[in-house]
Amino acid sequence: MSRYVGLFVAEAVEHLEALGRDLVTLEQKRSPEMVDSLFRHAHSVKGMAASMGLEPIATLAHRVEDLVEALRKDEGPLDQALVDLLLEATDAMQGQVSAAASGQPPAPSTALLSRLGELVQSRTGRPPAPTRVAQNVLFSVGGPEASPSPPPPPDFPLLDVHMRVLPSSQNPGARAFVLHRKLSALGTVLSVEPSLEEVRAGALPEGRLCIVVAARGGVAQVRQAVAQVPEVELVSVGPRRPVAAEPVAQEAPHPLASEVRSVRVRAELLDDFLELAGELLLATSRLREMGKRLPEAQRPMLEEGVDRLHGLAKDMHGRVMGARMTPLAVVTDQLPRTVRDVARRRGREVDLEVEGAEVELDRSIVDALADPLLHVLRNAIDHGLEDAETRKASGKPQRGRVKVTVRRARDRVMVEVADDGRGMDAEGLSASAVARGVLTAEAAARLPRSELLLLSCLPGVSTAKDVTDISGRGVGMDAVKRAVERVGGMLELESEPGRGTRVTFRLPLTVAVLQLLLVQASGEVLGLPITKVLGVVERDGVEPGPGRPLLRHDAALLPVHGLATLLGFEEREALGVRPFVLMEADKGPVALAVDVLVGQEEVVLKALTRPLDQLPGLAGVTILGSGRPVFILDVPRLLS
Amino acid sequence: MAKRVLIVDDASFMRSMLREIFVEAGYDVVGEATHGVEAVQRYEELRPDLTTMDIVMPYKNGVEATREIVRTHPQAVVVICSALGQEALVLEALEAGAADFVVKPFRGEDVLAMARKVLGEEA
Repeated sequence: MSRYVGLFVAEAVEHLEALGRDLVTLEQKRSPEMVDSLFRHAHSVKGMAASMGLEPIATLAHRVEDLVEALRKDEGPLDQALVDLLLEATDAMQGQVSAAASGQPPAPSTALLSRLGELVQSRTGRPPAPTRVAQNVLFSVGGPEASPSPPPPPDFPLLDVHMRVLPSSQNPGARAFVLHRKLSALGTVLSVEPSLEEVRAGALPEGRLCIVVAARGGVAQVRQAVAQVPEVELVSVGPRRPVAAEPVAQEAPHPLASEVRSVRVRAELLDDFLELAGELLLATSRLREMGKRLPEAQRPMLEEGVDRLHGLAKDMHGRVMGARMTPLAVVTDQLPRTVRDVARRRGREVDLEVEGAEVELDRSIVDALADPLLHVLRNAIDHGLEDAETRKASGKPQRGRVKVTVRRARDRVMVEVADDGRGMDAEGLSASAVARGVLTAEAAARLPRSELLLLSCLPGVSTAKDVTDISGRGVGMDAVKRAVERVGGMLELESEPGRGTRVTFRLPLTVAVLQLLLVQASGEVLGLPITKVLGVVERDGVEPGPGRPLLRHDAALLPVHGLATLLGFEEREALGVRPFVLMEADKGPVALAVDVLVGQEEVVLKALTRPLDQLPGLAGVTILGSGRPVFILDVPRLLS
Repeated sequence: MAKRVLIVDDASFMRSMLREIFVEAGYDVVGEATHGVEAVQRYEELRPDLTTMDIVMPYKNGVEATREIVRTHPQAVVVICSALGQEALVLEALEAGAADFVVKPFRGEDVLAMARKVLGEEA
C-alpha cells in the first residue's frame, strides 16, 4: 500500500483544493453544477481514503458528502455558517492528508464530525448514515466513470486513434482540427478528446489528441489519413478497448497512450530532465565546433550526424519544456479562498475577479509565484481596500474590487493585481525611508513617483499603520520583489491616491533555449536575446539629438546608446560605418551601437548565481559551442 | 505531369518566394492572384491542382475566397498561408473548406512537405 501513498496524497490534495474552491464559488452563486462538483470531490476523497485504509479521512469526507447531498436535495439554505463548516472540514482533511503523507496516522476529528452530523440531521430530519470503510482495497488509478457514447455504426471497426501534434507546429489547434476532419471523412467520429470546443479555446495539452472513430477501412486507412497531415505523428491506433477488458494486443502499442494518458512524475525529475536536455544541446554545439577542425573531406558525415543529434536534442528539450508548462490557474485557483478568509477576518466585502488563469508558464516560475501573489493579494485587501463606510463616504461602491489579470505579451507574461482601494502613500513612504536613513531627503525629492512606491519593497519601510497577522511590516513586499526578480521578472507598482493600486509582475515565459545575437563591444562578446531584436543596420554616423544622438530608421528617430558605455567599458572611437542593433526597450525602440556583429547562436540560458545575479542588466550566462562563456544582456533593465 | 499551382497573396515578395519554392521543386506555377476576387476568377480559369491562399487580402479575404472556391469545386485543394497570430482565422478557413495550412514565416521545405501531403504525393 505504501507505494501508493504519494499518488494518493497528490490526488487527494487536488480534490480538496478543488473542494475549497468550489465552496467559495458556491457561496457567491449557488448552482446545481457546483453542488454536483462538490459532491464529486468529496466522494472521490472518500473513495480514495477508504481504499488506502485511512478511515478518519474517509469518515470525514463521507460526512461532508452527506451534507452536500442534503444541499443537493435543496434541504436548507446555503449560508455562511454552512460554508464555514465545510471549509473547516476541508482544511481538516487537508491536515489529515499531510499527516498521511509523512507516514503518520491521521487523527480522527470527532468534534467536527459531530458538528457536521448535527447539521445534517437538522437539515434532513434524519441522523447521518453510519460510515463504513472498507479496508485494504487496492486504490485504483484513473477510472473516471465512462460517459455513454453514441452507439457505433455496425460493421465498422471501432478504433482508438492517439495522435500528437508536434511541438514545432505553430498552430496546433488548427492541426487538431485538420486531423478531426480527415478522420471524419473515413466514417463516424464517436468522440474527440479534448473536445473541439476545448481545442478551439486553445486547449491541446502536449499536443495530444485522441479520436475514437468507426472507420470503414480500418487501421490501414487511418494510418494513411493521418500520414497526409503535416506536423503530426500517429502515436497509436488500435481496436477500441472496452473499459474493463483484458489488455488487447495493439498494432503499434504505445506504453502510455492507450490506457493511461497521463502519469504523475516528481517535479524534480522534470528539473533534471530540463538540465540534461540543456546539457545535451550544449554538448552538441561543442561537437559541431570541434567538427570544424576536421579536414574538409571528412566534415559532411560528421555534420550530418551532428545535425541529426541537434534536431533530436532540441526536440527533446522542447518536449521537456512543454511538459513543464503549467497554467497559472494552479496558483490563482487558491486566490478566492484566500480572499474570502482575509476579507472575513477583516470584515471587508470584496469581489475578486481572475482573468487569464489559463496562461501557461514554466513550472518553476509558477511555483515561485504562489507566495508573492498571495501576499500582494492579502496586501490589497488588508491595506488597499477601505472599510465599507469609508468607501461609501468617498463615493465608491461598498464592495471592494480586486482584479487579477494574467496576459501574455510576446515572450513575457504579465500578472497584475489591481485594487480600487485607497492607493499607496508615496509621500509617507518617502518620509519613512528618509527617517530610517535609507536615503537622504534630497535623493527622495528627486525620485519619480513610481520609484517612491518601490520604496515599500525595502525592508522596514512599510507605512501600514496597523500591523495585522495578515500582512504588513514591509518585509513582505521586499520578499515579493526578490521572488519575482529571481525568476527573471520585474516588479512594477502604480498607485493613485484614492483610486487604487496596481502591482504588476512582468515575467519570462520559460527558462528556455534562447536565440542570441552575438555582438562585440569593446572587445567583449555579449549576447542579446533575438526576441528583443527588431533589426540590425549599418550606418555611417548618427544625428545629433537632444541629450543623446539619434539614428534615423525608416520614418523614426531612435535614441542611440553605446553598448560599451552602458556596460561601463571604454567606448572605442567610432570611425566610418558601424553596426547598430535595434532593440525593444520599455520606452520604445532604441539603437545600440556595437563594434562587430559576431553572429547568431542558439544557447541554453543558465541562471546566474550570486553575486552575479545582483547585477542589473544581466539576464543570464551561457556557454557557446566554442566553450566560451557569454553574458546575456537584459537591455531594458540595462537602460533603466 | 507536374502538378499545377495557383498562388494567391497580396504581397508580391510572398508570391515570388512561393513561386520560387514551387518551381524549384518541379511544380508548374500556372498563375497568381493578388486578392480574393481575383483568386476565385483565376481558379475558374486555371483549375489548378493546388491553390495557396493568403488570409488577409483586399476586396475579398482568403477565408471567403476559399469558401467560394470549395463550394463550387468540392475537390479543390486550397492551402492557407497564415501569419502567426491568425489562429482563429485559420480555423475559419479550415471550416470554409481549406485542406491545410502553413504558418508564415515558413521554410521552403515546410511548404513542399505540406503540398506533397495534401496532394497525396507522399503517404
